[in-house]
Amino acid sequence: MEIFAQLVANSVIAGATYTILTLGFNLIYGATRFTNMAYGVVAATGGYAFFFLTRTVGLPMIPSIIAGALFSGVVGVLTDRLIFSPLRKKNVRPSVHVIASLGAFVAIQALLSIFFGAEFWTLLPSGTVRVFDVAGASVTEVQWWIMGIAAAVSGLLFVVLRFTLFGKVVRALSDDEEVGKMLGINTDRTIGIVFFIGSMIAGLGGILVGFDTGIQPTMGLFILIEAAVPSIIGGIGNLAGGVIAAFLFGFVENFGIWFIASQWKAAIAFGLLTLFLIFKPEGIMGKK
Amino acid sequence: MNSSARIVLGLVIIVAVVAGVFAFLQAPQTAHGPTESPAGNVSPITIGFIAPLTGDGAALGQNEKVAVELAVSEVNMAGGIGGRPLNVIYEDGQCTGKVASNAANKLINVDNVPVILGGLCSGETMSFAAAAEQAKRVVLSPCSSAPAITDAGDYIFRDYPSDLFQGAFGAKYVYEQLGKRKAAIVYVKSDYGVGLDKVFREEFTNLGGTIVADEGYDQAARDLRTQLTKVKASNPDIVYFVGYTEGSTVGLKQAADLNLGVSMFGADGWGDPKLWTDVGVAGEGAMYTTVSAPLSDDFKAKMKEKTGSEEVLTCSPGAYDGIKILAQVMSKVGTDPTAIKDELYKVEYIGGVSAARVAFDENGDPAEASFAVKVVKDGKAVIR
Repeated sequence: MEIFAQLVANSVIAGATYTILTLGFNLIYGATRFTNMAYGVVAATGGYAFFFLTRTVGLPMIPSIIAGALFSGVVGVLTDRLIFSPLRKKNVRPSVHVIASLGAFVAIQALLSIFFGAEFWTLLPSGTVRVFDVAGASVTEVQWWIMGIAAAVSGLLFVVLRFTLFGKVVRALSDDEEVGKMLGINTDRTIGIVFFIGSMIAGLGGILVGFDTGIQPTMGLFILIEAAVPSIIGGIGNLAGGVIAAFLFGFVENFGIWFIASQWKAAIAFGLLTLFLIFKPEGIMGKK
Repeated sequence: MNSSARIVLGLVIIVAVVAGVFAFLQAPQTAHGPTESPAGNVSPITIGFIAPLTGDGAALGQNEKVAVELAVSEVNMAGGIGGRPLNVIYEDGQCTGKVASNAANKLINVDNVPVILGGLCSGETMSFAAAAEQAKRVVLSPCSSAPAITDAGDYIFRDYPSDLFQGAFGAKYVYEQLGKRKAAIVYVKSDYGVGLDKVFREEFTNLGGTIVADEGYDQAARDLRTQLTKVKASNPDIVYFVGYTEGSTVGLKQAADLNLGVSMFGADGWGDPKLWTDVGVAGEGAMYTTVSAPLSDDFKAKMKEKTGSEEVLTCSPGAYDGIKILAQVMSKVGTDPTAIKDELYKVEYIGGVSAARVAFDENGDPAEASFAVKVVKDGKAVIR
C-alpha cells in the first residue's frame, strides 16, 4: 500500500499548491470580474525576486520570501494602476481587460527572460532538504511548508473577508461594483488593495513552486492554469469552492495515473475541467 | 481636435513611418551593394545553424555554437572555401519543433542558405526535415539521435549516431555489465525520448530482462513525482531515465526525495555539467551513455580558451567536424545543395574530433559509432 500512501501525499501537496494559487486568483477575480491572464507571471516575479535576493544579494531565506511576496504584490498593483484602472474608468468590456492582461503577461515574461535568461533554475540545492516518512510516503520539508502556508493563507483570508470592514467591502464589490460605488465605496482604491493582496499570495505561491521544482520565465502559464482550473471548477470568484476544487484537482490528477499511464496526467485534469464546464458550468459552489 | 484634423494628422504619421521604413531598408542595401554583386568569388558563403540557445538544452546549444565559431574561424583563416569566407547565421530553435521550424523556414526562404547545420534536439530536426527536403536544402545535424531521422530524407544527414545504437548499447550495458534484470523507464515525450524508450525496451526484453514500468513525461513538465511514484512501486533494479537537463534536474531530485534507492541510468542528454551541479548529491552515482569522441587535446584547449571550461559538451565535436566536412565538400563542388548532397554520400573525413572516421551510409547516418558510459562522482561525470 506504499503507492497509495505516496499518491495521497502527492495529491495533498499538489492540492495545497493549487489552493494558494487559486486563492489569489479568485480574490482578484471577485473584485474585478475578469480573468486576469497576467496572474501567473506576477507569481513568477515573486520566485525571481527571491532568486535574486538569495543568490545575488545574499539575503537569508525568510526575509527573501517576505520581500519576494511583497515584490509580486507591487508588480500586481502596478499592472492595475497602469493598465486595468485606466480601462475601468473607460468602462470597457471585460474581454478588453482579458486581452490587456494577456499583453501584460507576455511583456512581464519577456522582461524576466531579458533580466534572468530563459534557463531553468532550482531555488534549493539538493541534499539540503530533509525528507520525512509518513506511513510509507516520502514528504519533504518544503512540502510541509507548502501545506502549512496553504492552511495559514486560506485561514487568514477567510477571517479577513468574514470579519473585517475591508472584507465586507470586498464582498460587496464581488456582488455588485455599481451598487458598491453608490454606497460610497472607493472602488478603485479597494481594487488596488485587492490586487496587492492577491498578487502577494501569487508571489508566495510562485516562490513555493520554485522551492518544490524550480523557476523559469515560462512558468507563469502553468501557474495560471493551476490557479484558473480549480477556480473554474470551484465556481469562479468563490473562495471556499476554489479550495475544495484545488484538492479535487490534485487528487484526480494524481490518482488518475494509477489507472492509466502517467503521460496522460494533464489530459485527466483537463478532462475534469471539460466535464464541469459541460455539466456544472457554475462550479461546485457557484450560484446559478 | 476635429475629425478632419485627425485624418490629416493620421496621414502625416503614416507617410512619416513609411518614409522612415524605406530609408531604413535603403541604407544598408546601398552600403552593401558592391559586396553582394557577383563580381569575383569573394562574396561570403552563408549557411544556417539551428540549436537551442535558450530554454531546454541551451547549455548544449551554446557550447555547440562556440565549436561552430571555432571551426568557421579556422576555415576562414585557412583561406575560406575557394577564397570565399564562410559565414553562419545562428538561429535559436529552443529545442522545440515549432520554433525550430520557423527558424528553418526563415533560413531557407529569406536567407536562401544551401545548408543548415542543425538542429540539436531531434524534435528540432524532425520539424524542418520535410521542408528542407522539399526545398532541396542539405541538413546536417550534429546531435539529433532519434531513429526516425534515418528515413527523414535524401538531403538529411547527421554525423551523430541514431539512438538505435545508443539505446541498444545502453540496454546491453545495463543487462550484461551491471547485471540488472528489472528496469523501469522514465522518458521525455519528445522524438528523442520516445525513440530511446522504444529501442531500450525492445533490446532489454530481447536480452531476457523485464521492463517493470514505462512512464513518459511532457518536456515542459517540472513535476515527475507521479511518474516516479509508479516507478518506485514497480520495484526496479535500475531506472533508465531519458531526459534533457531541466526535466532531469527535477526528476533526479524528486527521485531522491521519494527515496527511490536504485541506480539511475541515462543517455547523452545528461552530458550537461549544469545538471550535475544543480542536482548535487541526488546525482551521485548516476550513469549515462555517451558517444565516445576522440576529442584531440588541441580541440579541447581551443574550446577551453573560448568557454573557460574543461568540458566539451555532447554536441560540440560533431558540429566542429560538420563545419570542416561541409567546407571540404563545398571547396570541391561549390554551393549547389544537390551537388553538396551527392558529395556528402561519398565523403570520408579522417582525424576528426567526433569520430576517428566520419562517413555517411545510404541514409545519411554515420557509417559507424562507438559509445562509452560515464558515471557521476563528486558532481562531475567521468568515464566509467
